[in-house]
Amino acid sequence: MNHNTEHNDDGDLRHHSYDGIQEYDKKLPNWWLFTLYGAIIYAAGYWAYYQWTDHMQPGYARVEQRLVEFQKNALNSGAAPTDIQLWTMSTDPAVKSAGEKIFTSNCVVCHGPDLKGKIGPNLTDATWIHGGKPTDLYNTVTKGVLDKGMPTWGPVLGASRVADVVAFVISKNPTIEKPAP
Amino acid sequence: MKTKTIEYNDGVVRQFLIASVFWGVVAMLVGVLIASQLAFHVLNFNTPWLTFGRLRPLHTNAAIFAFVGNMIFCGIYHSTQRLVRARLASDFLSQLHFWGWQLIIVAAAITLPLGFSRGKEYAELIWPINIAVVLIWVVFAVNFFWTLAIRNEKSLYVAIWFYIATIITVAMLYITNHLQIPTSLLHSYPIFGGVQDALVQWWYGHNAVAFFLTTPVLGIMYYYMPKAAERPVYSYRLSVVHFWSLVFIYIWAGPHHLLNTALPEWLQTLGMVFSLMLWAPSWGGMLNGLLTLRGAWNKLRTDPVLKFLAAGVTFYGMSTFEGPLMAIRSVNAVSHYTDWTIGHVHSGTLGWNSFMAAGMFYWLAPRLWNTKLYSTKLADLHFWIGMVGILLYIASMWVSGITQGLMLNAVTPDGVLAYPNFLEVVNSTRAMLHTRILGGGLFLTGMILMAYNLFRTIRSGRPAVASIEVQVPDIAPKEGLSLIGGFFNPPVIYSFLLVLFACGWGFAQGMVSAVSLVLLVETALVAMIHLGLSGKKWNEWYEKLLESWLPFTVLTFVAVVAGGMIQILPTVFIKQTAGTDAPIQKVYTPLELAGRDIYIREGCYNCHSQMIRSLVGDVLRYGKSGRLTESIYDFPFQWGSKRTGPDLEREGGKYPNIWHFQHLMDPRSTSIGSVMPNYPWLYKQVTDIPALTSKIRVLSSYGVPFPPRSPDAILQSCIEQGNLITADLATSGIKISPDKEVIAVIAYLQQLGRYSAPAAQPAAPAPAVSAPAAPKQASAN
Repeated sequence: MNHNTEHNDDGDLRHHSYDGIQEYDKKLPNWWLFTLYGAIIYAAGYWAYYQWTDHMQPGYARVEQRLVEFQKNALNSGAAPTDIQLWTMSTDPAVKSAGEKIFTSNCVVCHGPDLKGKIGPNLTDATWIHGGKPTDLYNTVTKGVLDKGMPTWGPVLGASRVADVVAFVISKNPTIEKPAP
Repeated sequence: MKTKTIEYNDGVVRQFLIASVFWGVVAMLVGVLIASQLAFHVLNFNTPWLTFGRLRPLHTNAAIFAFVGNMIFCGIYHSTQRLVRARLASDFLSQLHFWGWQLIIVAAAITLPLGFSRGKEYAELIWPINIAVVLIWVVFAVNFFWTLAIRNEKSLYVAIWFYIATIITVAMLYITNHLQIPTSLLHSYPIFGGVQDALVQWWYGHNAVAFFLTTPVLGIMYYYMPKAAERPVYSYRLSVVHFWSLVFIYIWAGPHHLLNTALPEWLQTLGMVFSLMLWAPSWGGMLNGLLTLRGAWNKLRTDPVLKFLAAGVTFYGMSTFEGPLMAIRSVNAVSHYTDWTIGHVHSGTLGWNSFMAAGMFYWLAPRLWNTKLYSTKLADLHFWIGMVGILLYIASMWVSGITQGLMLNAVTPDGVLAYPNFLEVVNSTRAMLHTRILGGGLFLTGMILMAYNLFRTIRSGRPAVASIEVQVPDIAPKEGLSLIGGFFNPPVIYSFLLVLFACGWGFAQGMVSAVSLVLLVETALVAMIHLGLSGKKWNEWYEKLLESWLPFTVLTFVAVVAGGMIQILPTVFIKQTAGTDAPIQKVYTPLELAGRDIYIREGCYNCHSQMIRSLVGDVLRYGKSGRLTESIYDFPFQWGSKRTGPDLEREGGKYPNIWHFQHLMDPRSTSIGSVMPNYPWLYKQVTDIPALTSKIRVLSSYGVPFPPRSPDAILQSCIEQGNLITADLATSGIKISPDKEVIAVIAYLQQLGRYSAPAAQPAAPAPAVSAPAAPKQASAN
């Protein structure tokens, strides 16, 4: 027991005792009071700033605005790839392996590990429901076919990853011939 | 004056102690099981009543209401008798309280695994049990306040203040959040839906933490900490300030569970700033606890009781710092719906509640059974095993929660999700899920050690009889203050005016707001000057208030009721569809409603949210951010609090029926690496169509515009919609009868995110947004 406590024992110990429990009546620590007052002042300022400036639009409007800005800056605003570009990509081993990874994590469950189809159709034969040109494939993957259960992959994967996975599919399908440039 | 000997009722204290230890072990055993299920899906055993979605509510309800519930009853009954120098008012009520509560727990432990659930977190128990809970709580309240009324100690100690706040606030929260109309003996719908239900639920949910897990345990701290340390409490003044600021501010903070959702912005802002203001009041409790140990720190080395209490209070300080941090809107964007939240609540329940419970039990058991603790060494071992367990638990949840939050929100420079596949995120935190099992397992081991240690302690002793002699005056003394005296005095009037003017400043506009601000500042100045001049008198008034339990209780009630009224009432009385440009939810068909009730029965909301937040990551992943009008017919709301799986608000139409059919049978067949349980029984059980008649009747009475249908028409509608789905499945070679539950669930899931046109068309065309059912409007091409 240090000197300070001894002194205080006499000083500010309340006389009342509850079942033997006594209470000091120490001053509130200053840093604690600053925390309390600081938080209250901050709360008032935050409320004023967010409620009474244009800053606080409803969340749904705010996020849509951010997305528009986002897309303006996006790098993918260039033209969609052409048939020949996709076909050429399909012969690039680096693209193929990138595409295979994307296929394995997103497409395998419906189109099967051998691309021969499960819930979704076979991708290795010459039968194409929504067109068999490389750009047809690209559009189908990008936009999806919701009626048939093909999700809209464009916004999920992004243009470059869609191109990669389409290139991979082309490389696995011998029936797709090199398009005229 | 005559002298009277009073024998305390410690029998019921002993009963609650044993019950708490028993249910604590059970709750944590279930906890370790469900933690393991999240890492190893086979542990769901393809069995309905062993599946995560049903056991998780069992775990939370058992931990909160069975373990901590019995613990606080034990501590409150033991300490109150001594603090007010009176025996509990009624032996009958005490026994009714004990056995009634245990019966409720048993009923919960049976009904929850069987899938009887209201679908609201920590409020899952069905309506007949709700009524029993309210009745037993009233028994508790009567027994407690009656004891105060016959007390032989004039003044109420700070622990009692916290007990009073607990009893009245929990009653208010519980009753409001359980307003409901039964559709059958075992099923009901809450009277609030959509955003109203969200607001009421988290007002309740957050304050269940505040007034069931915090205030009673603070009261317990104020008794057992100075008792065990044999030191005076650090500061009476701090007790006064932190008690009143805590009970007033806590109640406003609920909306921080709904940040960045469709909840109106002003409520989100209130939820955030009140959480920040809660920091200091919470730390006031921690300071008073820890600083009471001044001069007794050396005892921590030898006394397991003080070890547990000191560590418990430290964890309280840590999680009440973490809470405000997580309530900051931008931090919440990362932490919400992730494991971080899970870690946060466990630093509270394991670190604060369980350690405080352990400290209290180790102190109480030798005294209640008139013996010595069986083994101090074993108690020390419990402490260290428990400590390592907690640290592993919360550290692993920090890592996995922050990882999940960052990965799910990550967007690449070309404007798409960096981790589009949800399962990639799930599987990146596997190691942390395993670490959590280890941490939880260690903590459970510690609990079992405690149970054994206490068992041996109890065996070695005999129930002790404790009594005191009190001086009873011939004429019962009057209470210090009348009800009116409680209200009409400077501190209360100033507080009232300050809150009134603050509201006028914050909620009104223009002149009213400006005038309120001036009045607010003036009142604050006048109050401060007045305090400087008459501080002593105010102090004397407060001392008198402490001698008057009824005015004290009423004032506490006024303090807690304000926040809830201001937040909830406007939302309840506003017609939600008026003048909005937002899409309006489509009314469910009977089959979809049946599917929704199966979704709730299976506890899908424990892992799947239905609220796309207004965050870029959420919108890119799940579609347009959610609007209030899109869940107005949802009784109860299903916005969720955790995304172990992806959000489902706009799930409808994303996948074909066959996908859902296969996914529910075996999630891994469509989603490699999924941790979701299999639901084989949905393919055998038949949808309960007859129950729909009264369900639709109740929902219609809430104003849901169901077209009028006879029971036959309901059946017909279900068959027709079911046939459409089975016909579609047949094209993929699947044969199943349309009356199976899985068909109803598919009907419900495929409807999610389908909305009818807005009630009122906006004047200007909405920003570039495609049809609401399309999952992603921000198409990259």
